[in-house]
Amino acid sequence: MSPEERAPTRDELLAMAYADGELDDAAAREFEARLEREPALGRELAELRQLAVLARRITPTEPADHEWRRLEAEWLHGGGQKLGLTLLAVSALGLFAALMWLLFASALPIAIKVFAGAGAAGMLLLLVLAIRARRRTLPYDPYTQVKR
Amino acid sequence: MILATTDSVHGAEVIETLGLVCGSTVRARHIGKDVQAVMQNFVGGEIPHYTKLLGEAREQALDRMIDQARALGADAVVTMRFSTAEIATGACELVAYGTAVKLRRG
Repeated sequence: MSPEERAPTRDELLAMAYADGELDDAAAREFEARLEREPALGRELAELRQLAVLARRITPTEPADHEWRRLEAEWLHGGGQKLGLTLLAVSALGLFAALMWLLFASALPIAIKVFAGAGAAGMLLLLVLAIRARRRTLPYDPYTQVKR
Repeated sequence: MILATTDSVHGAEVIETLGLVCGSTVRARHIGKDVQAVMQNFVGGEIPHYTKLLGEAREQALDRMIDQARALGADAVVTMRFSTAEIATGACELVAYGTAVKLRRG
């Protein structure tokens, strides 16, 4: 039996029934309690919901879609965009660091340096937390696979 | 679950109106995509990153509305509409709403 042909496990069947709204209230509550404890079950559910989203979108593709896909597959387009964004990010980080250095090396009053430093640290902390939250929730988000 | 923009479903009779159901979402793209969209603004044409963002928001709002309808035991959502709201700059806000009903198949 190939991996594609294997019988679904009990948990997979349970997740399918939950995603289709076929569980009764008690079974649904029990499944939701398990979702909070078992991340693998959450990922399984996200994959099933992603399938439902994709199934809803079976429509003939526009001619323009093919050209967009071909463009994205080209090294110059995809690689160039990544290079451009990387250069932009490096430049922004470098400018930020240089501005901080200028600020702390200047003869400005210590209070201004402290508050500016606290503001910069706060912004960085919020950015890091936002990236962390996105990375944690991304595997459970079935909508990132929606096509144009 | 049948979704219809009409106030009835062809071939079925509405036997019970369960009430308003809605689903909403606010989704944002990351700043890298925004930069690319700004570049696209210079040359015109479709901005595929934003089209995709709108597609994601529409599907998520729809799923949340369907979840609400299922919880009420509905067979269909009729008079379904999409609406947009203005909450955050650079984000896509979308609301899907309609009336959840029970049907008897004709």
